Amino acid sequence: MQVKGMRRWGTALTVLGLLGLILVYWMSFFWVSTEATQGIVQRIFYVHVPAAWTSFLAFGLCALTSGMYLWLRDERLDRAALAAAEGGMVFATIMLTTGPLWGKIAWGTYWTWEPRLTLTLLLWFIFLGYFMVRGSTEDPGKGKRFAAVVAIVGALEIPFIHLSVIWFRSLHPQPVVVRPDGPTLPGDMFATLMTSLGAFTVLFLGMFLLRYALEGLKSELDARTRRAIA
Amino acid sequence: MSAYLTQVRAILWKDLVIELRTRERVLVMGGFAVLSAVLFDFSIDRALVAPQDIAAGLIWMTIVFGGLLGVGRTFHLEAEDGALRGLLMSPAPRDAVFIAKVLANFTLLYVVSLLVLGVFILFFDLELGGSPAAIALALALGSLGFVALGTLFAAVSSGTRLGETLLPILVFPLLAPMIVYGAGATARLLANRPLAEVAGHLRMLGAFTVVAVFAGAVLFRFVVED
Repeated sequence: MQVKGMRRWGTALTVLGLLGLILVYWMSFFWVSTEATQGIVQRIFYVHVPAAWTSFLAFGLCALTSGMYLWLRDERLDRAALAAAEGGMVFATIMLTTGPLWGKIAWGTYWTWEPRLTLTLLLWFIFLGYFMVRGSTEDPGKGKRFAAVVAIVGALEIPFIHLSVIWFRSLHPQPVVVRPDGPTLPGDMFATLMTSLGAFTVLFLGMFLLRYALEGLKSELDARTRRAIA
Repeated sequence: MSAYLTQVRAILWKDLVIELRTRERVLVMGGFAVLSAVLFDFSIDRALVAPQDIAAGLIWMTIVFGGLLGVGRTFHLEAEDGALRGLLMSPAPRDAVFIAKVLANFTLLYVVSLLVLGVFILFFDLELGGSPAAIALALALGSLGFVALGTLFAAVSSGTRLGETLLPILVFPLLAPMIVYGAGATARLLANRPLAEVAGHLRMLGAFTVVAVFAGAVLFRFVVED
């Protein structure tokens, strides 16, 4: 796809995602029924869970495109990895801020070493390393390879980090949607969550395409500048 | 296969001979470890905390910090006079270079981690428990996993402007399994709990280490290419 098409799709999906987000806020503030035991604070769930899902999707996409970049050495794969990693950082940050806000009221403490929260925190730091490596190499090609290695090792170690932090301790509410015996979530809450998941995913894809197109334009600009100087 | 082993052995031998003659890294790591144990001891109010209760965690953290000092310098010597380039241009495949570097670092760190264990036993007045071999095994698996990740990322960080300062940012988030299982197993063994209780810890630590070594051996070539 050409850069122009990317931008058009990116803009369309971002606008769609933002509209979806308005709908999600309306649903979670005014439409969905209040959860009986947790009360009003449970509504943060409709932002927290989709943000977590989107960040995992983004980091997974980054690891995948990083691996393909090392294999095929197509610059576009590296741009995709960078765009995905940035999206992942944004949504992981949302997950890491909404989690403690909810936890303060539901658990009585901002931070607990809850496995999924801990895993996301560690992922956040792995990808902080990803950006630091990219930003601190003189030779951009080297930075791209180094960053890809960081993303791949991070992805390979995730199962171990996940198991070890579960081993360490668990307080998190148990899954309410993906369960062998079907969702236990009441209908309206389920609908709100699904809408939110959709809106977050579309928003991420839109921002991902825009960011990807921007990187493409940047490299084109670099190439033209070099040609003009030469 | 035997050519591969010969190549690994040659590089490993070279690194160990350099270390034996200079004793630079092992002295720095060992000195750091003993001094950390001293400072950790000062940092504990014995009226409030029993040092035995937190010793296992401190042992592992000391190994991590000390290991970082030594592992960060893996490619220092070879950065001079294009020695690394020479090594990479040799017929040895890149993964053989990596495995040899990991084994050399492992030898150093394992010596240091046994020293750390001894120092903590002395300073913190610990009992070794009923199965010292299992503690030694946990330390061996942990050190090997740590140096595998550490060596790979030492190659990465030494290629950046930030150098070794970047190493902890890259390695620490990946060490959660090593600390959880390693320190967990050590704490239980020091408390003289039955071996069966830590079998799961040791298996997970072993799996983590295998993946770390394998990932490093595969990915190292992408770090040092050109």
